[in-house]
Amino acid sequence: MENNFFSEETAVILGLGEFQVGKCPMGTIGLGSCVALILHDRRRSLAGLAHIMLPESRGSVDRPGKFADTAVSALMEEMERAGGTKFAITAIIVGGASMFEFSANALNIGERNIAAVKSLLLERGIKIEYEEIGGRVGRSVYYWPEGKGHLIIKRADGTCVDI
Amino acid sequence: MELDSIQKDALSEFGNIGAAHAATSLSQMLASPIEMTVPEVQAVDIAEMYNYIGSEVSAMVVFQIQGEVEDGGYIVVSMPKETVIRLTNQMLGTTDIDREIDEMDRSAAIEIGNIMISAFLDATAELLGIVMLPSPPALAIDMAHAAFASIVAQMVGDVNDVLIFNTELTSEAPPIYGSIYMLPNPELMQQLSLMLQRLMEPLV
Repeated sequence: MENNFFSEETAVILGLGEFQVGKCPMGTIGLGSCVALILHDRRRSLAGLAHIMLPESRGSVDRPGKFADTAVSALMEEMERAGGTKFAITAIIVGGASMFEFSANALNIGERNIAAVKSLLLERGIKIEYEEIGGRVGRSVYYWPEGKGHLIIKRADGTCVDI
Repeated sequence: MELDSIQKDALSEFGNIGAAHAATSLSQMLASPIEMTVPEVQAVDIAEMYNYIGSEVSAMVVFQIQGEVEDGGYIVVSMPKETVIRLTNQMLGTTDIDREIDEMDRSAAIEIGNIMISAFLDATAELLGIVMLPSPPALAIDMAHAAFASIVAQMVGDVNDVLIFNTELTSEAPPIYGSIYMLPNPELMQQLSLMLQRLMEPLV
Protein backbone atom coordinates (compact mmCIF):
# COMPACT_ATOMS: atom_id res chain seq x y z
CA MET A 1 0.00 0.00 0.00
CA GLU A 2 2.18 2.81 -1.26
CA ASN A 3 1.14 6.23 -0.23
CA ASN A 4 2.30 9.11 -2.32
CA PHE A 5 1.33 11.72 0.21
CA PHE A 6 4.60 13.55 0.38
CA SER A 7 5.03 13.65 -3.36
CA GLU A 8 1.89 15.71 -3.78
CA GLU A 9 2.85 19.34 -4.03
CA THR A 10 -0.17 20.78 -2.32
CA ALA A 11 -0.11 18.38 0.62
CA VAL A 12 -0.02 20.01 4.03
CA ILE A 13 1.48 18.42 7.12
CA LEU A 14 0.16 19.84 10.36
CA GLY A 15 2.11 20.03 13.58
CA LEU A 16 0.86 19.81 17.13
CA GLY A 17 -1.97 22.22 17.78
CA GLU A 18 -2.40 23.34 14.17
CA PHE A 19 -5.48 23.23 11.97
CA GLN A 20 -6.25 23.69 8.31
CA VAL A 21 -9.29 23.85 6.06
CA GLY A 22 -9.07 23.32 2.33
CA LYS A 23 -9.27 21.01 -0.63
CA CYS A 24 -5.65 19.93 -0.54
CA PRO A 25 -4.46 16.63 0.97
CA MET A 26 -3.67 17.02 4.65
CA GLY A 27 -1.93 14.89 7.18
CA THR A 28 -0.43 14.80 10.59
CA ILE A 29 2.20 12.42 11.89
CA GLY A 30 2.75 10.80 15.22
CA LEU A 31 -0.54 11.07 17.10
CA GLY A 32 -0.21 9.76 20.62
CA SER A 33 -2.68 11.08 23.13
CA CYS A 34 -3.49 13.78 20.59
CA VAL A 35 -6.59 13.51 18.43
CA ALA A 36 -6.84 14.22 14.72
CA LEU A 37 -10.29 15.57 13.95
CA ILE A 38 -11.25 15.57 10.30
CA LEU A 39 -14.42 17.31 9.17
CA HIS A 40 -15.51 16.59 5.64
CA ASP A 41 -18.09 18.13 3.34
CA ARG A 42 -18.25 15.61 0.53
CA ARG A 43 -20.46 17.76 -1.68
CA ARG A 44 -17.66 20.28 -1.97
CA SER A 45 -14.64 18.03 -1.60
CA LEU A 46 -13.74 20.24 1.31
CA ALA A 47 -12.11 19.12 4.52
CA GLY A 48 -10.70 20.45 7.73
CA LEU A 49 -8.10 18.81 9.94
CA ALA A 50 -6.98 19.71 13.45
CA HIS A 51 -4.25 18.12 15.55
CA ILE A 52 -5.81 18.50 18.99
CA MET A 53 -3.59 18.20 22.05
CA LEU A 54 -5.78 18.97 25.03
CA PRO A 55 -9.50 18.88 25.81
CA GLU A 56 -10.16 22.40 27.13
CA SER A 57 -8.82 25.80 26.17
CA ARG A 58 -9.74 27.44 29.48
CA GLY A 59 -9.93 30.78 27.73
CA SER A 60 -6.74 30.52 25.70
CA VAL A 61 -7.30 31.74 22.13
CA ASP A 62 -3.91 32.02 20.45
CA ARG A 63 -3.84 28.44 19.12
CA PRO A 64 -7.35 27.30 18.35
CA GLY A 65 -6.16 23.97 16.91
CA LYS A 66 -4.58 22.92 20.18
CA PHE A 67 -7.74 22.44 22.23
CA ALA A 68 -10.83 20.39 21.45
CA ASP A 69 -13.36 23.15 22.13
CA THR A 70 -11.62 25.89 20.13
CA ALA A 71 -10.62 23.49 17.34
CA VAL A 72 -14.20 22.37 16.69
CA SER A 73 -15.44 25.96 16.53
CA ALA A 74 -12.54 27.13 14.39
CA LEU A 75 -12.89 24.24 11.93
CA MET A 76 -16.66 24.74 11.61
CA GLU A 77 -16.28 28.48 11.05
CA GLU A 78 -13.60 28.02 8.41
CA MET A 79 -15.54 25.24 6.71
CA GLU A 80 -18.64 27.41 6.49
CA ARG A 81 -16.62 30.35 5.24
CA ALA A 82 -15.17 28.11 2.54
CA GLY A 83 -18.67 27.17 1.40
CA GLY A 84 -19.31 24.07 3.48
CA THR A 85 -22.78 23.51 4.86
CA LYS A 86 -23.29 22.20 8.34
CA PHE A 87 -25.70 19.41 7.49
CA ALA A 88 -23.35 17.96 4.87
CA ILE A 89 -20.39 17.79 7.23
CA THR A 90 -19.33 14.51 8.79
CA ALA A 91 -16.44 13.79 11.11
CA ILE A 92 -13.60 11.30 11.42
CA ILE A 93 -11.64 11.01 14.64
CA VAL A 94 -8.33 9.25 15.08
CA GLY A 95 -5.93 9.03 18.00
CA GLY A 96 -6.37 9.48 21.72
CA ALA A 97 -4.10 6.59 22.64
CA SER A 98 -2.51 6.25 26.03
CA MET A 99 1.18 5.73 25.49
CA PHE A 100 2.44 5.67 29.05
CA GLU A 101 1.09 4.85 32.42
CA PHE A 102 2.18 7.61 34.68
CA SER A 103 1.08 8.34 38.21
CA ALA A 104 -2.62 7.86 38.80
CA ASN A 105 -3.34 11.54 39.33
CA ALA A 106 -2.32 12.41 35.80
CA LEU A 107 -5.68 11.75 34.17
CA ASN A 108 -5.53 10.09 30.83
CA ILE A 109 -5.28 12.90 28.31
CA GLY A 110 -6.07 10.67 25.34
CA GLU A 111 -9.40 9.58 26.79
CA ARG A 112 -10.27 13.09 27.84
CA ASN A 113 -9.48 14.39 24.36
CA ILE A 114 -11.75 11.80 22.77
CA ALA A 115 -14.57 12.47 25.21
CA ALA A 116 -14.31 16.22 24.65
CA VAL A 117 -14.30 15.95 20.85
CA LYS A 118 -17.22 13.50 20.82
CA SER A 119 -19.41 15.58 23.06
CA LEU A 120 -18.66 18.73 21.05
CA LEU A 121 -19.59 16.97 17.82
CA LEU A 122 -22.76 15.63 19.38
CA GLU A 123 -23.73 19.12 20.56
CA ARG A 124 -23.45 20.38 17.01
CA GLY A 125 -25.21 17.38 15.54
CA ILE A 126 -22.22 16.29 13.46
CA LYS A 127 -22.19 12.60 12.66
CA ILE A 128 -19.03 10.59 13.25
CA GLU A 129 -18.49 8.61 10.10
CA TYR A 130 -15.39 6.73 11.19
CA GLU A 131 -13.26 6.50 14.29
CA GLU A 132 -10.11 4.75 15.33
CA ILE A 133 -9.36 5.71 18.87
CA GLY A 134 -7.80 4.64 22.14
CA GLY A 135 -5.41 1.75 22.57
CA ARG A 136 -1.70 2.09 23.15
CA VAL A 137 -0.46 2.70 19.66
CA GLY A 138 0.76 5.84 17.87
CA ARG A 139 -0.77 6.72 14.52
CA SER A 140 -0.24 8.95 11.51
CA VAL A 141 -3.16 10.21 9.47
CA TYR A 142 -3.39 11.29 5.84
CA TYR A 143 -6.55 12.60 4.22
CA TRP A 144 -7.52 13.45 0.68
CA PRO A 145 -10.73 15.53 0.66
CA GLU A 146 -11.74 14.80 -2.90
CA GLY A 147 -15.20 13.30 -3.40
CA LYS A 148 -16.06 10.87 -0.64
CA GLY A 149 -12.66 11.43 0.89
CA HIS A 150 -9.79 9.04 1.21
CA LEU A 151 -8.25 8.25 4.58
CA ILE A 152 -5.05 6.41 5.40
CA ILE A 153 -4.10 5.63 8.97
CA LYS A 154 -0.64 4.26 9.62
CA ARG A 155 0.01 2.62 12.95
CA ALA A 156 3.34 2.38 14.69
CA ASP A 157 3.35 -1.41 14.35
CA GLY A 158 3.36 -0.97 10.60
CA THR A 159 -0.26 -1.80 9.87
CA CYS A 160 -2.32 0.50 7.71
CA VAL A 161 -5.99 1.33 7.26
CA ASP A 162 -7.08 2.59 3.87
CA ILE A 163 -10.61 3.91 3.47
CA MET B 1 10.61 31.08 25.48
CA GLU B 2 13.64 32.68 23.86
CA LEU B 3 17.07 31.63 25.04
CA ASP B 4 20.03 33.95 24.84
CA SER B 5 23.41 32.55 23.96
CA ILE B 6 24.63 32.54 27.55
CA GLN B 7 21.61 30.53 28.64
CA LYS B 8 22.15 28.14 25.77
CA ASP B 9 25.80 27.68 26.65
CA ALA B 10 25.04 27.19 30.31
CA LEU B 11 22.36 24.65 29.55
CA SER B 12 24.42 22.70 27.09
CA GLU B 13 27.28 22.59 29.58
CA PHE B 14 24.83 21.38 32.17
CA GLY B 15 23.62 18.69 29.77
CA ASN B 16 27.18 17.82 28.90
CA ILE B 17 27.95 16.91 32.49
CA GLY B 18 24.78 14.90 32.87
CA ALA B 19 25.21 13.08 29.58
CA ALA B 20 28.85 12.34 30.31
CA HIS B 21 27.86 10.55 33.49
CA ALA B 22 25.08 8.71 31.68
CA ALA B 23 27.54 7.68 28.97
CA THR B 24 30.02 6.46 31.56
CA SER B 25 27.40 4.31 33.23
CA LEU B 26 26.37 2.86 29.87
CA SER B 27 29.99 2.24 28.99
CA GLN B 28 30.54 0.40 32.26
CA MET B 29 27.48 -1.76 31.71
CA LEU B 30 28.60 -2.73 28.22
CA ALA B 31 32.31 -2.75 28.93
CA SER B 32 32.88 -0.82 25.71
CA PRO B 33 33.67 2.82 24.85
CA ILE B 34 30.77 5.18 24.21
CA GLU B 35 31.01 8.38 22.17
CA MET B 36 28.77 11.33 22.83
CA THR B 37 27.92 14.53 21.01
CA VAL B 38 27.88 17.98 22.57
CA PRO B 39 24.31 18.58 23.71
CA GLU B 40 22.09 20.76 21.59
CA VAL B 41 19.59 23.03 23.26
CA GLN B 42 16.67 24.34 21.30
CA ALA B 43 13.42 26.05 22.08
CA VAL B 44 11.01 24.35 19.70
CA ASP B 45 7.52 25.49 18.84
CA ILE B 46 5.12 22.60 19.43
CA ALA B 47 3.77 22.92 15.89
CA GLU B 48 7.31 22.41 14.53
CA MET B 49 8.13 19.46 16.74
CA TYR B 50 7.65 16.91 13.99
CA ASN B 51 10.66 18.44 12.21
CA TYR B 52 12.88 17.46 15.13
CA ILE B 53 11.32 14.23 16.26
CA GLY B 54 10.16 11.93 13.52
CA SER B 55 7.60 9.18 13.27
CA GLU B 56 10.05 6.28 13.13
CA VAL B 57 9.47 3.62 15.73
CA SER B 58 11.80 3.79 18.72
CA ALA B 59 11.97 2.53 22.25
CA MET B 60 11.59 5.40 24.68
CA VAL B 61 12.12 5.21 28.40
CA VAL B 62 10.48 8.17 30.06
CA PHE B 63 11.01 9.67 33.50
CA GLN B 64 9.39 12.56 35.19
CA ILE B 65 11.89 14.82 36.94
CA GLN B 66 11.04 15.00 40.61
CA GLY B 67 12.70 16.23 43.76
CA GLU B 68 12.98 19.86 44.73
CA VAL B 69 10.65 20.87 41.94
CA GLU B 70 7.66 18.59 42.24
CA ASP B 71 7.07 18.20 38.55
CA GLY B 72 10.14 19.44 36.76
CA GLY B 73 9.39 18.10 33.32
CA TYR B 74 10.50 14.95 31.61
CA ILE B 75 13.66 13.20 30.59
CA VAL B 76 13.71 10.55 27.89
CA VAL B 77 16.16 7.97 26.62
CA SER B 78 15.32 7.09 23.06
CA MET B 79 16.82 4.14 21.19
CA PRO B 80 16.06 2.39 17.93
CA LYS B 81 14.63 -1.11 18.31
CA GLU B 82 17.82 -2.74 17.02
CA THR B 83 19.82 -1.02 19.73
CA VAL B 84 17.55 -2.40 22.42
CA ILE B 85 17.99 -5.91 21.05
CA ARG B 86 21.76 -5.50 20.83
CA LEU B 87 21.92 -4.22 24.39
CA THR B 88 19.97 -7.20 25.70
CA ASN B 89 22.19 -9.53 23.73
CA GLN B 90 25.30 -7.88 25.10
CA MET B 91 24.11 -8.26 28.65
CA LEU B 92 22.81 -11.80 28.33
CA GLY B 93 25.51 -13.08 26.02
CA THR B 94 23.01 -13.97 23.29
CA THR B 95 23.61 -13.15 19.63
CA ASP B 96 20.31 -13.34 17.76
CA ILE B 97 19.59 -9.83 16.45
CA ASP B 98 16.97 -10.69 13.88
CA ARG B 99 14.00 -10.97 16.21
CA GLU B 100 11.10 -9.06 17.64
CA ILE B 101 11.27 -7.12 20.91
CA ASP B 102 10.34 -9.42 23.81
CA GLU B 103 9.71 -9.01 27.51
CA MET B 104 13.40 -9.35 28.31
CA ASP B 105 14.22 -6.49 25.93
CA ARG B 106 11.58 -4.31 27.49
CA SER B 107 12.89 -4.80 30.97
CA ALA B 108 16.50 -4.41 29.81
CA ALA B 109 15.63 -1.13 28.09
CA ILE B 110 13.95 0.15 31.24
CA GLU B 111 16.86 -0.89 33.39
CA ILE B 112 19.47 0.69 31.14
CA GLY B 113 17.43 3.87 30.92
CA ASN B 114 17.07 3.90 34.67
CA ILE B 115 20.78 3.60 35.31
CA MET B 116 21.68 6.21 32.71
CA ILE B 117 19.14 8.77 33.82
CA SER B 118 19.90 8.30 37.49
CA ALA B 119 23.53 9.09 36.66
CA PHE B 120 22.48 12.06 34.56
CA LEU B 121 20.27 13.63 37.20
CA ASP B 122 22.64 12.82 40.04
CA ALA B 123 25.53 14.59 38.37
CA THR B 124 23.58 17.65 37.31
CA ALA B 125 21.77 18.00 40.62
CA GLU B 126 25.05 17.79 42.47
CA LEU B 127 26.50 20.52 40.29
CA LEU B 128 23.65 22.79 41.23
CA GLY B 129 23.31 21.65 44.81
CA ILE B 130 19.68 20.62 44.44
CA VAL B 131 17.81 17.33 44.52
CA MET B 132 16.54 15.92 41.25
CA LEU B 133 15.23 12.38 41.11
CA PRO B 134 13.77 10.36 38.30
CA SER B 135 10.25 8.99 38.70
CA PRO B 136 9.81 5.26 38.08
CA PRO B 137 10.36 4.73 34.35
CA ALA B 138 7.68 4.19 31.74
CA LEU B 139 8.44 2.53 28.43
CA ALA B 140 6.85 3.06 25.05
CA ILE B 141 7.91 1.36 21.86
CA ASP B 142 6.17 3.46 19.30
CA MET B 143 6.43 6.40 16.90
CA ALA B 144 8.80 8.84 18.51
CA HIS B 145 6.65 11.84 17.73
CA ALA B 146 3.55 10.21 19.20
CA ALA B 147 5.33 9.57 22.49
CA PHE B 148 6.89 13.02 22.66
CA ALA B 149 3.62 14.70 21.76
CA SER B 150 1.93 12.80 24.59
CA ILE B 151 4.63 13.92 27.01
CA VAL B 152 4.32 17.52 25.84
CA ALA B 153 0.54 17.34 26.23
CA GLN B 154 1.07 16.36 29.88
CA MET B 155 3.39 19.32 30.35
CA VAL B 156 1.91 22.26 28.57
CA GLY B 157 -1.15 24.12 29.44
CA ASP B 158 -0.74 27.47 27.89
CA VAL B 159 2.82 27.07 26.68
CA ASN B 160 3.48 26.88 22.97
CA ASP B 161 7.09 25.89 22.91
CA VAL B 162 9.23 23.36 24.66
CA LEU B 163 12.89 23.25 25.39
CA ILE B 164 14.47 20.21 23.82
CA PHE B 165 17.81 19.25 24.92
CA ASN B 166 19.42 16.44 23.06
CA THR B 167 22.65 14.41 23.24
CA GLU B 168 23.48 11.41 21.12
CA LEU B 169 25.40 8.45 22.45
CA THR B 170 26.97 5.95 20.11
CA SER B 171 29.19 2.94 20.24
CA GLU B 172 30.75 1.08 17.35
CA ALA B 173 31.07 -2.35 18.84
CA PRO B 174 28.37 -3.28 19.52
CA PRO B 175 26.81 -0.81 17.05
CA ILE B 176 24.36 1.02 19.25
CA TYR B 177 22.83 4.43 19.12
CA GLY B 178 20.72 6.38 21.56
CA SER B 179 19.66 9.89 22.49
CA ILE B 180 18.85 11.60 25.74
CA TYR B 181 16.21 14.29 25.62
CA MET B 182 15.34 16.55 28.46
CA LEU B 183 12.15 18.60 28.42
CA PRO B 184 12.27 20.83 31.49
CA ASN B 185 9.10 22.71 32.29
CA PRO B 186 9.25 26.52 32.62
CA GLU B 187 9.70 26.54 36.42
CA LEU B 188 12.59 24.10 36.40
CA MET B 189 14.04 25.88 33.39
CA GLN B 190 14.01 29.18 35.22
CA GLN B 191 15.54 27.66 38.30
CA LEU B 192 18.25 26.03 36.23
CA SER B 193 19.24 29.12 34.34
CA LEU B 194 19.33 31.20 37.54
CA MET B 195 21.59 28.69 39.23
CA LEU B 196 23.79 28.35 36.20
CA GLN B 197 24.15 32.10 35.88
CA ARG B 198 25.19 32.25 39.48
CA LEU B 199 27.76 29.53 38.88
CA MET B 200 29.19 31.41 35.95
CA GLU B 201 29.49 34.77 37.65
CA PRO B 202 33.11 35.87 37.84
CA LEU B 203 34.58 35.68 41.30
CA VAL B 204 35.26 39.03 42.91
